[in-house]
Amino acid sequence: MSAYTVHQGQLPGLFRLWAKLYKVHVPVQTAPGFYDFAPWEPDTEIAWDYDLTVNPLKRHLLPPREDLVVFDTRTYEARGVFQAPQQLLFGVHPYDLRAIAQLDQLMELGSPDRNYRRRRENTVIFALDPLRVAPDAFWSTLGAGRADIGFDLYWTKIGPAMFFVEVGTARGEELLLAAGEVERAGAAQHEAARRTREDTRRRADGHGLKFPWQELPRVMAKAWDAGIWREKSSMCLACGSCNLVCPTCYCFDMREELDESLGKGRRWRQWDACMLPAFAQVAGGHNFRGKHLDRYRHRYFRKGKYIFDLIGEPGCVGCGRCIKACTARIANPLAVFNRLWEEYA
Amino acid sequence: MTDAANPYLPLAATVVDVVDETPAIKTLRMTLDDPQARAAFTYRPGQVVQLSVYGVGEATFVLNSTPTRPEFLQCSVMRAGEVTEALHGLRAGDQVGLRGPLGNAFPLDALRGRDVLLVAGGIGMAPLRTLLLYMLDTRADFGAIRLIYGARGPRDMAYAAELDQWADAPGVELTLTVDAPDPGWTHRTGLIPDVLRELSPPARGAVAVTCGPPIMIRFTVQALRELGFADTDIVTTLERRMKCGIGLCGRCNIGPRYVCVDGPVFTLAELGELPPEL
Repeated sequence: MSAYTVHQGQLPGLFRLWAKLYKVHVPVQTAPGFYDFAPWEPDTEIAWDYDLTVNPLKRHLLPPREDLVVFDTRTYEARGVFQAPQQLLFGVHPYDLRAIAQLDQLMELGSPDRNYRRRRENTVIFALDPLRVAPDAFWSTLGAGRADIGFDLYWTKIGPAMFFVEVGTARGEELLLAAGEVERAGAAQHEAARRTREDTRRRADGHGLKFPWQELPRVMAKAWDAGIWREKSSMCLACGSCNLVCPTCYCFDMREELDESLGKGRRWRQWDACMLPAFAQVAGGHNFRGKHLDRYRHRYFRKGKYIFDLIGEPGCVGCGRCIKACTARIANPLAVFNRLWEEYA
Repeated sequence: MTDAANPYLPLAATVVDVVDETPAIKTLRMTLDDPQARAAFTYRPGQVVQLSVYGVGEATFVLNSTPTRPEFLQCSVMRAGEVTEALHGLRAGDQVGLRGPLGNAFPLDALRGRDVLLVAGGIGMAPLRTLLLYMLDTRADFGAIRLIYGARGPRDMAYAAELDQWADAPGVELTLTVDAPDPGWTHRTGLIPDVLRELSPPARGAVAVTCGPPIMIRFTVQALRELGFADTDIVTTLERRMKCGIGLCGRCNIGPRYVCVDGPVFTLAELGELPPEL
């Protein structure tokens, strides 16, 4: 795979060029210790060493609200709606790449979701190796510390003003070379990138699962009646924050409304959350998961077993966002999985 | 991209007839507006559709017509919420949106050549109606058909106009029962599981298909097991809130299964492998 060396001084030109073709999103600091992806502007300061963004990138592929159908109530004509902006996501950490790769797989199961697919096709992804590891992160032990596919370019910061850039796709290489000549990476840069990754990995490995992630579904299969479900869920606020910040949660609701003429309307999907009380409620009032315990357990079974059974890897990439977002301090896949391992292995 | 390939896009259909079944249930007969779509629409007994009243929403119903009688598509709607209320307001000539068919179907291959026991409670007769009519239209493929159909009272019994026809059909034993009879009631009185035990139809070489409210299913299954039906020979359908209908949105998820894709029809043996969230 070809690789290049990019110098800090080349970046403004590249970003200006990319911004003409794409809506470019980059990691920025939003408050001390807090990061998020934001649209790139010429004066944006990129947070090269961010550890974790508050929000995952799913909002750019599966927006919080997305129109699917517009309809006419008089003629009953309906039409599909597709919005798929040209966008470039810059600085995506490998665990988030893994989450996007999962969405790609899941949204193709059954009838392919064309709204998602179109957005995905118009999205360029430039990955970035993490330099710091968030305190709650455990992606390394979930095998999500490095991605081999799912990026157009893969950036590694190898010096104060120097980047090692690995090519993932022809589209990525074209965009890298579009603003002028870029030098090929030599052996020294390859080695510097390897050392940087190795250094991050060593620090990341120290915190995480106490067992191979491949064992997760086997352990979960025995854990339906585990005490931890009651223990943790008794404090659950049923707020759905864990769902919202999760890069792999993709459940959605479908709603619709009419415009003021009452003659035309739209149907959209919007993020939903399996931790909210009414998620599994049906007409007539019956609720298949009416208790906090049912819903809390369901979420962890989705992550540790159901998704695994579908695609062969856990529906959790170990980013630690839910741990940080949970006000009640109960959302914690790492603590739950490790405890279940101790009790049921 | 053609709209035909968009799984979220409903087809326009027109209501050709409305049958007032009971105070709470209406049956809508519909045909797709687009002649090409109408010709291309095929389904298997047990599959569901999403019906839309634009501006109100979408809800899931089993097609209780049979593909062997393609003149129209039929759904029975029990009033339970906003969408069903809006569907109850429709008259012949009104339009609806229709997505589908979705989900799996009754395991016809497993039923062929065997006796079939149908046990229906209330609106649960709707999915069994499609199966019953299908079997009547391909009668030679199936053994004896026994139908036990119960409702709260005589007025709550849907498809009243068809019951005589069903009773007279070749090789069909029809038993009707209500919890609360009125003076004119000439059939049985009593709960479905009790009637089932009394009749005690043979389990040997037979498959049971049951549908109805969760509580009725639970006690009916108990009775069926007592009669000797194995869990692999008890078939039921799951009620679940569906939204996307294509196995994505997570609403109808139970264990690794999505009712909208993997169901709604399951054998009891299959349900036994799922988490007890029924």
